[in-house]
Amino acid sequence: MARKTHDVLSVDWIRLELLRTAYSTRGGLFSRLDPRIVLAWYLVMAIAPWLTHDTGVLLVLFALGVVSVVLARVGPLVLGLFLIGLLGNVIGLFAASFLFGGNLDTLVALAELNLKLGAVSMASMAAFVSLDPEKLSDALLWFRAPELLAFGVSYGYRMLPILVDEYVTVFEGQRLRHAPVERPGLLGWRVVRQWCVLAVTAFYPIMLNTAKNVRTTVEALETRGFTYGASNPAGRSLRLAYLRVSATDLAVLAATVVLVVAAFPLGGLLG
Amino acid sequence: MHTAAPTTAPIPERTGAPPVIRVKDLSFRYPGTDRDTLRNVDLTIERGDFVAVVGGNGSAKTTLCKTFNGLVPHYWNGDFAGGVHVGGVDTWDSTVAELSRRVGYVYQDFQNQLVRPTVRDEVAFGPLNFGRADHRERTEEALAQLGISHLRDRFVWQLSGGQAHLVALAAVLALRPEVIVVDEPVAELDPARAREIYLRLRELNQREGITVITIEHHAEFIAEFARSVVLMADGAPVWHLPVQEAMDRHAELAAHGVPAPDAVALSAAVGARPVALDVPSAAAALRPLLRERPTAGAPEPTGASATSTRAVEAGPVPTAAAASAMAGAPEAAGEVVASLRGVRHGYRSVTGELSTVLDDLDLDLRAGERVALVGTNGAGKTTLMKLLTGLIVPRAGTVTVDGIDTRTRSAARMADHVSYLYQHPQQMFLKDTVREDIALFPRGRKVPDAEAIVDRIVRDVGLTALADRDGRSLSGGQQRRATLGIGLAMRPSLLLLDEPTSSLDIRARDDVTAMLAALSETVRCAVVATHDMELVATWASRVLVLDQGQVLADVTPRELFSRPEITSRTRLVPPQAARIALELGLDPLPLTAAELRQRLPDGPALSAAPVGPTVKEVR
Repeated sequence: MARKTHDVLSVDWIRLELLRTAYSTRGGLFSRLDPRIVLAWYLVMAIAPWLTHDTGVLLVLFALGVVSVVLARVGPLVLGLFLIGLLGNVIGLFAASFLFGGNLDTLVALAELNLKLGAVSMASMAAFVSLDPEKLSDALLWFRAPELLAFGVSYGYRMLPILVDEYVTVFEGQRLRHAPVERPGLLGWRVVRQWCVLAVTAFYPIMLNTAKNVRTTVEALETRGFTYGASNPAGRSLRLAYLRVSATDLAVLAATVVLVVAAFPLGGLLG
Repeated sequence: MHTAAPTTAPIPERTGAPPVIRVKDLSFRYPGTDRDTLRNVDLTIERGDFVAVVGGNGSAKTTLCKTFNGLVPHYWNGDFAGGVHVGGVDTWDSTVAELSRRVGYVYQDFQNQLVRPTVRDEVAFGPLNFGRADHRERTEEALAQLGISHLRDRFVWQLSGGQAHLVALAAVLALRPEVIVVDEPVAELDPARAREIYLRLRELNQREGITVITIEHHAEFIAEFARSVVLMADGAPVWHLPVQEAMDRHAELAAHGVPAPDAVALSAAVGARPVALDVPSAAAALRPLLRERPTAGAPEPTGASATSTRAVEAGPVPTAAAASAMAGAPEAAGEVVASLRGVRHGYRSVTGELSTVLDDLDLDLRAGERVALVGTNGAGKTTLMKLLTGLIVPRAGTVTVDGIDTRTRSAARMADHVSYLYQHPQQMFLKDTVREDIALFPRGRKVPDAEAIVDRIVRDVGLTALADRDGRSLSGGQQRRATLGIGLAMRPSLLLLDEPTSSLDIRARDDVTAMLAALSETVRCAVVATHDMELVATWASRVLVLDQGQVLADVTPRELFSRPEITSRTRLVPPQAARIALELGLDPLPLTAAELRQRLPDGPALSAAPVGPTVKEVR
């Protein structure tokens, strides 16, 4: 079979999708909002589903989740993984219940949990796809999260692309230097097994390299006044001075609250 | 050529202003070690100076510089005796945070110094931590001072090495320090970028009066940019002299692992006193001697150069098509190892559009060739190498290695024919010892007598004593040799190396270059992607200049360096000896100091020379 360059479902595509998601390069409604409002919005959307057992209400909340995913322009990788997870769960449970003599009623009974998880997951996707690392870290800081957590979040994002690149490089090296499987076996299970082993062992050099690199980072943090800033509030207020809540922010938040509250009587009618 | 920069900047006049750094009787011992790293250091650095700190590995250059911003003794605790005063403040009574506002530090591995996602945030990080209300102005000012305001909104992972270094520097500048310490900018950058950094540092030094201290191995930069030189040996300064006097003592520098740059070595060899520090003055010193001997009568340095010079006279920059036609002609003897036909390739960016990296490329690589692949970052060097390994396949056209179309085999199977050595050695250490890493490929493929091969290669790369250590714990030069061993154990027809001499000091670099020269016995064709023009000059038999996805020129090293129009367009800086020779108008062009020496008379002019090492010894 001749090899070709693939633009989707390739390693490079996964890398790009991760970056697009992490750095919210696709834009969308929520990425234009104040990050604190996005976090508040997320809290409303993520908590509401746990306050009810009514399938009708959950259906409405699920629909709200779908709308926010569309508005936030969630990318295909994250969305695909979510769908695989959700559908896999539904089909798996259905198959299991069927084997044990259940029927469609069991599925309805299980729908409540799936709808809940689905609604919360979609709210999470919409919120975090819309927050770039700087905004997220500043919002956390504003909510009085520990300095180290806020910094850690932004540092994690800063490292992510570099670690992904390094991982791809090491994994390529693994593939080139390990002998390919001679007989693939049924459905190529030996190939799959080898890929899994290589994918996991590729973490070993990366962890050692990172451990070595981070020594400079820690020292540099000291010279850039990170510890000093953590104990002096002036830096925090300066950093957060740019945050502004606009009319759009309040409108989106208010609309969300109204819709979520309305979901309860509305869902009651459906149910 | 960009050699006309003024060099002999005066040592800042000592107007009685207090020195910015004063080190007195300083000794320091890291915890858990049994000898002092710094021993009785006495050193004074004047405000406004541009100091190069030089010395061999383990001479405590970095430790010394870390005493200036208080990392020693406040971050690195240990036995600390004596005193360091920075701007009148005793570092012992101060803190790292307080001292960092006076002394900025840019690390050798500056990439790890960047901690925030965007450039603007990175530069503002320091001022924000210290609660500076004018952090925005400071950020803009620092970016403007280094001419990188346009990078403001970039993510740090999008930056090239040179840009990342400037951002690290801007982040330090935003604190408005009195002193900036830069640890080996040349180590992780190619020479052309490192030069840019030095030009910026000179500007900061001259315009803003900031004291600049660099740790440096490359004497070429020291001679051109520094005003004074501190030579360190064994934990203490040997001397601290103005740069001219320091370079006059080039033999002493060479003995401490800092070989003289070509300008110094050549002008010293013909007896110039003081020695020339840069290309124009070296050319001026050598020119009168050359006139006595017409160029026509000059001996050919090597046999190969005769053909190449004729090609130079042929005229304008060859187009890609003409170039590949030309390449076919003189070396038709070699059998084709790899070929590319109509190859086009590109990548998707984060925003989704396709950027073309290689465009309609035709190329043949033949047995016995030592190919250097040069060009700016993003010219497609790495992409071309990855296409040859089969790690990626082209979007159009075919790549053939050993007669095999890379589309028909997996990369793992292509690895029997091609091996690819990454730029960063630590990414190739997959096992816990060097021996295991070298053995991985032959053992896995069940090569008969794999163990004997591994033993031989470990010996060949000179790592017998270190074979049971983890690759990461070795020095830079040893790491390179270990990766070469890994490549050789794959016994490829085609060996590809990405920047094999980057981040090596000069001695380790010469080591690796020598080892590359010995490769021809085991490998049919070797391709090196590099920015290191010394390596190109001494090792390559053929140079491919990539520019905007095309082969801009397919030439010999001598031809390449004889054509300033190609080198300046692709931002390549020829070796200093070649630049001197070009300034002198020598034809054929000598590429190394040794070759240039042969064109100089060795009669009376030399006998007047002070006792010193010959060029051979220095290089």
